[in-house]
Amino acid sequence: MTRAEYKRRRPSGTFRVYDSLESMLKIAQLGKTLATAPPRKLFELLSMEVGAGECVAIIGESGVGKSTLLNCLAGLEPVSSGSIRVGDTELAGLGDDALSQLRRDCFGFVFQAFHVLPHLTLLQNVAVPLWLQGRHGAEADRCAQHMLERVGLGTRAHDWPRELSGGELQRVAIARALVHRPIVVLADEPTGNLDPARAMDVLDLLLSSIRDGGAAGVLVTHSHAAARRADRVFELRQDGLVQVMAAAQ
Amino acid sequence: MNPALVRLFAASLGRRRLATALALFAIALGVALGLAVQLIHEAALDEFGRGMRELAGEADLQVRSGRVGFDEQLYLTLALRPEIAEASPVLELDARLPGRAGTLRILGIDLFRVAHVQPALMPVADDRDARFAGLQPDTIFLSAAAQDKAMGKGRGVLRVQSGVKVVAFRVAGTVPGAGVGQALGVMDIAAAQEAFGQVGRLTRIDLKLAPGVSREQAVTRLSPLLPAGISLSQPEASGTEAAALSRAYRVNLTMLAAIALLTGGFLVFSTQWLSVVRRRREFALFRALGMNRGTLLRGLLLEGAITGLAGGLAGIALGHLFAALAFRLIGGDLGAGYFEGLRPSLQFSPGVIGFYTALGVAAGIAGAWLPAHDATLMGPASGLKAGAAEAAVLGGMKESRGRGALACFGLGLFACLLPPFGGIPVGGYVAVALALACAVMVLPWATRFSMQVLNVGRGVVWRLAHARLAAAPGQAVVAGAGVVASVALAVSMAIMVSSFRVSVDDWLGTVLPADLYLRASSAGASGFFDADALKLVENTPGVAFIDTVRATEVRLIDGRPPVTLIAREVSRGWGLPLVSGSLSAHQRDDSTGLPPAWLSEAAADMLQLAPGSTLSLPIAGRMNLFRVAGVWRDYARQNGAVVIGRDVYRQLSGDLKVNDVAIRVVAGTSVDEVALALREVFSDDLVDIAMPGEIRKLSLEIFDRTFLVTYLMEAVAIMIGLFGIASTFAALSTARKGEFGMLRHLGMTRAEIGRLIALEGGLTAAVGVGVGVVAGGGIAWILIEVVNRQSFHWSMDIHVPYAGLAAFSLGLVVLAAMVARVAGYRAMRQSAVLAVREDW
Amino acid sequence: MMQRSRHIFATCLFSALCAVNAACHADSDTGVLRGAGPAYPGVVPGETLVFPRDHGAHPDFRTEWWYITGWLRDEADVERGFQLTFFRVRPRIAEGGSSRFSPNQLLLAHAAVADPARWRLLHAERAERSLPPLAGAGEAHTDVRIRDWSLAWSEAPGVAGAYHARVGAGEFAFDLELRPEGAPVLNGQGGYSRKAPDPKHASYYYSRPHLKVSGHLSAGHDAHRVTGAAWLDHEWSSEIMPDDARGWDWIGVNLDDGGALMAFRMRGEKGEPIWSAATLREADGSLRTFQQDEISFVPTREWRSPRSGTVYPVAWSLHLAGAGNAPVRTFRIVPLMDDQELDSRASTGAIYWEGAVRLFDDGTEPQEIGKGYLEMTGYADRLEM
Repeated sequence: MTRAEYKRRRPSGTFRVYDSLESMLKIAQLGKTLATAPPRKLFELLSMEVGAGECVAIIGESGVGKSTLLNCLAGLEPVSSGSIRVGDTELAGLGDDALSQLRRDCFGFVFQAFHVLPHLTLLQNVAVPLWLQGRHGAEADRCAQHMLERVGLGTRAHDWPRELSGGELQRVAIARALVHRPIVVLADEPTGNLDPARAMDVLDLLLSSIRDGGAAGVLVTHSHAAARRADRVFELRQDGLVQVMAAAQ
Repeated sequence: MNPALVRLFAASLGRRRLATALALFAIALGVALGLAVQLIHEAALDEFGRGMRELAGEADLQVRSGRVGFDEQLYLTLALRPEIAEASPVLELDARLPGRAGTLRILGIDLFRVAHVQPALMPVADDRDARFAGLQPDTIFLSAAAQDKAMGKGRGVLRVQSGVKVVAFRVAGTVPGAGVGQALGVMDIAAAQEAFGQVGRLTRIDLKLAPGVSREQAVTRLSPLLPAGISLSQPEASGTEAAALSRAYRVNLTMLAAIALLTGGFLVFSTQWLSVVRRRREFALFRALGMNRGTLLRGLLLEGAITGLAGGLAGIALGHLFAALAFRLIGGDLGAGYFEGLRPSLQFSPGVIGFYTALGVAAGIAGAWLPAHDATLMGPASGLKAGAAEAAVLGGMKESRGRGALACFGLGLFACLLPPFGGIPVGGYVAVALALACAVMVLPWATRFSMQVLNVGRGVVWRLAHARLAAAPGQAVVAGAGVVASVALAVSMAIMVSSFRVSVDDWLGTVLPADLYLRASSAGASGFFDADALKLVENTPGVAFIDTVRATEVRLIDGRPPVTLIAREVSRGWGLPLVSGSLSAHQRDDSTGLPPAWLSEAAADMLQLAPGSTLSLPIAGRMNLFRVAGVWRDYARQNGAVVIGRDVYRQLSGDLKVNDVAIRVVAGTSVDEVALALREVFSDDLVDIAMPGEIRKLSLEIFDRTFLVTYLMEAVAIMIGLFGIASTFAALSTARKGEFGMLRHLGMTRAEIGRLIALEGGLTAAVGVGVGVVAGGGIAWILIEVVNRQSFHWSMDIHVPYAGLAAFSLGLVVLAAMVARVAGYRAMRQSAVLAVREDW
Repeated sequence: MMQRSRHIFATCLFSALCAVNAACHADSDTGVLRGAGPAYPGVVPGETLVFPRDHGAHPDFRTEWWYITGWLRDEADVERGFQLTFFRVRPRIAEGGSSRFSPNQLLLAHAAVADPARWRLLHAERAERSLPPLAGAGEAHTDVRIRDWSLAWSEAPGVAGAYHARVGAGEFAFDLELRPEGAPVLNGQGGYSRKAPDPKHASYYYSRPHLKVSGHLSAGHDAHRVTGAAWLDHEWSSEIMPDDARGWDWIGVNLDDGGALMAFRMRGEKGEPIWSAATLREADGSLRTFQQDEISFVPTREWRSPRSGTVYPVAWSLHLAGAGNAPVRTFRIVPLMDDQELDSRASTGAIYWEGAVRLFDDGTEPQEIGKGYLEMTGYADRLEM
């Protein structure tokens, strides 16, 4: 399937080819105030653009709101102010079902705890996003198998997750995150549950997969070693996102 | 266990309040139902027994017959015997009350004799000036309960039926000695003999033995004086007979209560198992901190025991409440009619309360046993790992216990072959229990198998649900075991009741071949037709042909209730629903020349006779030989019935009375018109005029009422089964919040998550229902062919209500899906979505 | 001796059986079997008693009794009183009924032994409807029985006839032969014994004094051979007690010289005598009857029952007018023991005094001249008949 064809399936119905210079994810003046008493300002005035095939890392101290930011990007938490655009879709104002549809089509996720479903085989786990798009059968299996091969688990498609190590599980998760060719891939401490030797391999795989797929990757981590592998690194502070490292060459 | 640890475990129950409450409620229901059945029945039996004791008074021995009685000369003979200190003659009859339902027990007594033997029967005149009130032929004395039952407001006159006439008695006073629940009337024996056409007859003599004479000696010496069919027994025997009579029915109800309890146990199992799974890391921590296996096991069993105890205690209270309500609303009869008219009061027995509390605790502990055992087998290290709980959900209960299931099946078949024990089909009940166990054990296999068969869906929700069940059949066991048990029971009862109902319906068709029936009263009661009345019937315009039925009682075996002796035609189209033998009075292979008799199935079982054997029947004080010509199906008389030819009976007994008249009307005449004409001849109050259709309708109404309590208990069992689904899914929605959260991230909508849970619930229930239906079919077979055959001695044709079962199954699956979805609501909330980020 | 009409015993036997004296009238509403039968025959003067027929039962009359009292002496010379009564009652119900149990004739019996060693009476009672052979009263000669209790005349050719009385109760039993030594003594006018100013209150009444008794008696665990003398009253009537009577006093005494004395008085509400009569058979066989003011009963000592609180005049002076100008004869009546009260409220509803007495003459040093029985009724409550 060509990228163009894929875009045609998007819910917005627009037909547009993105190139690598165009921003796939753009946030502007983003602010989040927690509805505590008194209201606590978590962050404000965040702005950032991520282009196709680009990976950015967000670091910051614990409690500064890294995960909340990620939730907001995924449309799982409402923002207090500002805008989030994914491709040419503005998240603000979308309903729950529309957000679900958007996530289904445009997002891929990698979690610290893998969240590989234990009752599905690796192939099935990877195919879930395709199923969600209504793609079943041989075509879905082929895509999933191809994706598994890309993460180096092509021979183990029919194994059960319980037979895998943590690193392998995260590879499965990476395959699942990219199998449907999302515009944005969000990863929350993807190496947090892995030992350091494996962590870098897995991270490299994740980043290269995102770049190869032409998606915009956002990586939240507190590991500077991990962050350094991204194209740009931002530090999340209460008063904004501060780029601490330019794109590595 | 030290108190701190007890608190540690007990606190866990508080953390899963809903699940604990459901399990507790199920146990409470089971205990309550069982207890209520027992309380009601025992109170009724006690009241019945007390009635019998009051009537028997201080008697050491009783001479008893069926209601047909014996010649009064026996009293004169016995009263003068040196072995006898006091003798008291009684003529007991059930008098029909014209225009009222039911009969009133009337005791014709000798005032001078009851004073010495049955003082409780002593009548007391209301009016001190009433001259010889207790001897007057027109007076009767009513117990308080009889006043309520038989009298309208005041009037002071009791009207009862004798033959097809009404006799009226002046109510001259009361029988203060009669127990609160005893509805009876007392009158002079001579007056009773005359008023009810029983001159020269008695039905009972109560005897007090002379000092130094033992009961055994007296029985040995006096038995030769007794005519055939009359027994000399201890007064307690009546109570025993009543107990035997209703035992099968009571055991059936108790079994249903046991099912409720069992389902409660399953529910404890479900909640406890899920709780254990979720707390694996907690336990691993305890173990790592040095808690030994035994303490852990005891702690977990303690949780089950606490649930069981609380449920048991709640059940005790609830059971007493049920019983008290039942006494207030329906009296002591649970629907089978054995104790109609008794109004017992609630009694508290510490023994019974203790027993049922212990049952509740046992159910709790039994439910907790397997999960607790599993928990102790877990290695502390693996338990500490993240994701251990989810792995356990998938790993546990996966194995079908194939060998166990096979063993249960084999043992169950064997149990079906066992004869009844003390009149109770113990083997049958064991087989039912084994069938249930077998069904639960094959559940994982059935789940996997059906998932393979069902591997057809394409939607993501279907695929996820299907994959979940296929990979984790243990979940189906945990959630579905209760469903299997309750469905199996409900289905088996449905099939049994349906088979019974259809068979009864067919049977009614066979036993009611006439166009019109007249009934003066049943076997024991006071109405009858004499020759004049029959003439009136025959001469009614439109009557083409009549046949008469005389029903009396004969005692065939000491210590067993009497058998109904029916004298009627069996040829000319007045058939019997035979199951073996022949209707023909003369059989080619018969060389005995004896008159034929046809036994009901119960009588044949009791006497262990088959067609061709010889039967000895006491008629008119003599033994008479008959040839068993056939065995017929009888749903009306559980104690057995014998049909003999009318002419043979009249010749042997000289008894020309008739209870029922069956009428064929002249072709082309309207049955309604004939009925109308007969109503003009006989008072409506005295003679029931019924068309077969009405009798059938009434019979089936009674049938349905009898089984009403069964339906109610089934509904309760189903409810408990659904609790199992609810509690499992409530627990799983917590345990799987990560999974659902991830799926939300991947773009599943809230509604799709809801559908996923509902579908899983529906599928789980579908498998449970499927296995339950199959098991239910098997249990129905056991109930019909073993339990009913052995406890009630009647056969029936199996009739499966397919449409009803299909609707029921479908409904249950849908209901289960809804219940699961409601229970899993937590999984659909936003917080669950965010939970993905947490390490759980 | 209607005074001993203890048919209270009969009539009050159970609370369900109350008084006999009202006529039976069925409730017109019920319209069931009634069977009051023909009216009771009246007792009229001038009828001649015919024996042995009149020793038997007279079932048409309302009430009838055979009443035996006597003194017995055992091997050890211990003296005891005994008493046995059979009552027959026709309640005028269920007459003409077809059931053998029809209660158209009732039989009741009462037996007692006065044993001075016990200082109280032993007593027992029975009641049955007439139902031969269990219970009944024969009409040919005295033959009344209630199961194993019986009083029957028997005679064989060549042997003098005798009554046999058999009673078995828990505490006591006796089996006695009572042989009469002469013809019956007819009380009143040839057996017509008037009870009140209105002549309809009367009975047919004869006595057989000086019955020679032999047989066995057991009281408690002791069995004795006994001999003694007894007195039989046989009386039948239909309307014996006037409405204004409260009770009566009666004695029957066998005199040591071979004579016999029977006396009674009917008392009114306030204890005033309503009617009195007596029969004295002298040792030579001559008979004198007394009526009204020819007799007077004078109490000489009272005894209060510790159980019921009732006060009974247990000792008496009895004065009989002399014939012509002969002086009044006075007798003193002294009880064998004071406590011979019979409390049968639990069964019969009646409480009265019925006991063995000695008769003394009125000399300065009184000599015992006879032994008999005294009955006093109506001291506790009015006798309900």
